Amino acid sequence: MAAREEVLTLQAEVAQREEELSSLKRRLAAALLAEQESERLVPVSPLPPKAALSRDEILRYSRQLVLPELGVQGQLRLATASVLVVGCGGLGCPLAQYLAAAGVGRLGLVDYDVVEVSNLARQVLHGEALAGQAKVFSAAATLRRLNSAVECVPYAQALTPATALDLVGRYDVVADCSDNVPTRYLVNDACVLTGRPLVSASALRFEGQLTVYHYGGGPCYRCVFPQPPPAETVTSCADGGVLGVVTGVLGCLQALEVLKIAAGLGPSYSGSLLLFDALGGHFRCIRLRRRRPDCAACGERPTVTDLQDYESFCGSSATDKCRSLQLLSPEERISVVDYKRLLDSGSPHVLLDVRPPVEVDLCRLPHSLHIPLKHLERRNAESLKLLGEAIREGKQGTQEGVSLPIYVICKLGNDSQKAVKILQSWTDLDSLTVRDVVGGLMAWAAKIDGTFPQY
Amino acid sequence: MVSRCQVEVLYFAESAEITGIRSETISVPQEIKALQLWNEIETRHPGLADIRNQVIFAVRQEYAELGHQLLLLQSGDEIAIIPPISGG
Ligand SMILES: [Zn+2]
Repeated sequence: MAAREEVLTLQAEVAQREEELSSLKRRLAAALLAEQESERLVPVSPLPPKAALSRDEILRYSRQLVLPELGVQGQLRLATASVLVVGCGGLGCPLAQYLAAAGVGRLGLVDYDVVEVSNLARQVLHGEALAGQAKVFSAAATLRRLNSAVECVPYAQALTPATALDLVGRYDVVADCSDNVPTRYLVNDACVLTGRPLVSASALRFEGQLTVYHYGGGPCYRCVFPQPPPAETVTSCADGGVLGVVTGVLGCLQALEVLKIAAGLGPSYSGSLLLFDALGGHFRCIRLRRRRPDCAACGERPTVTDLQDYESFCGSSATDKCRSLQLLSPEERISVVDYKRLLDSGSPHVLLDVRPPVEVDLCRLPHSLHIPLKHLERRNAESLKLLGEAIREGKQGTQEGVSLPIYVICKLGNDSQKAVKILQSWTDLDSLTVRDVVGGLMAWAAKIDGTFPQY
Repeated sequence: MVSRCQVEVLYFAESAEITGIRSETISVPQEIKALQLWNEIETRHPGLADIRNQVIFAVRQEYAELGHQLLLLQSGDEIAIIPPISGG
């Protein structure tokens, strides 16, 4: 028994030391960041022209210097070029990494967000130790280690209509690495109004798109997409998922277009759209329309003469975070705390999980019945049968005449509301009360069960 | 007698979500207006109506306005429906 006790004591001591160690690591990371922050200078002066490369620079960039298309003149242009990187996520990280490595003179980094653990699989400038820190400082710190000659200017803020013209106007080329529709229109209009070329990339699931807008008389983003898509048809990477390599491929292609513009070689994708299908392994190039003479931004009589409210124009917010829908009244909903109480009391009910199967594979509450929202929308016969059986079974535990409650749960509490609306519309379920669980399984993980996975 | 041909329709991003497929081969008249071609496709997948004003409609890898210009199609031609994606 004494040996067993010693094992437990030692285990506890190891756990405590590990906790101390990780706390020290977090403090060190924060201190490193604070040090860098104090030395950053916000006012940006134009980069001075550069007449020649130093011996060190010749060695460092030798592999690209011997390319006749680039050569010394191209490298000197890169060294005096400034690029604004809008978004330091899955696209912005590889883009900024290659631009810094290639010797671009100045990189402006814009992002309001902080590093989260779920970013690390694709946002390759951020390390584990910097979770919780601003992405722009994390990215700037990594880029400085990579190439100390490149000036990195972090802007830990969202790009807004109030700041965009000033900021975009300070840079030669703009890379749109953002993750939402309003920001894409904002960046486009700011580039048109300040006359800057815009290299735009995007990625979702296994697909990527790349185009250079507003370059050499070519179309702008609004020429191609005059109207924003309905908000409910837009999927974010947080919702739809994305493979990190796909953003990596697109970010690198985007960096290539930026470099060619900055070095004076000219881009390849002005007026055309590169489509990358990572599942099929296809690259396709689509020739786009010409500049629209009646484009609201770059047309002959533009109506966009100043930046506007892009969130209301697009009907969505300038973030890729899920917004909370409010489809149900408070009486039609239950909190995770109240649901836990009900569960513990053993009160008969059906818990219906409406997430897609791939998410149920990640984690689930063991007593839940799983029917994806899509099946409810299509009145899938098999699913209706399952639900009917669960209700009949549940009713056996209730008294005659007492209705059996159905609680609907999903990841965040949006799809569950849609599911309640669908179930309420089914007249054959008249005798049932249907509610949804506010905040879904992520609220359950945050408030009830700390061991439940978050994703 | 209108002669018809088999074209391949590719669905990208949201259009693949709406139709539930990434590509299909359909039979259409060889001479058809771009708008009519879209309408034929929309008839097969009514959900596409939600995004018709926000897609790039490409015929043989070239943008085509959803209007009345006449297309001359050949069997094997590629039609692509490309909604913008905005993630990153
Ligand atoms: Zn335009």
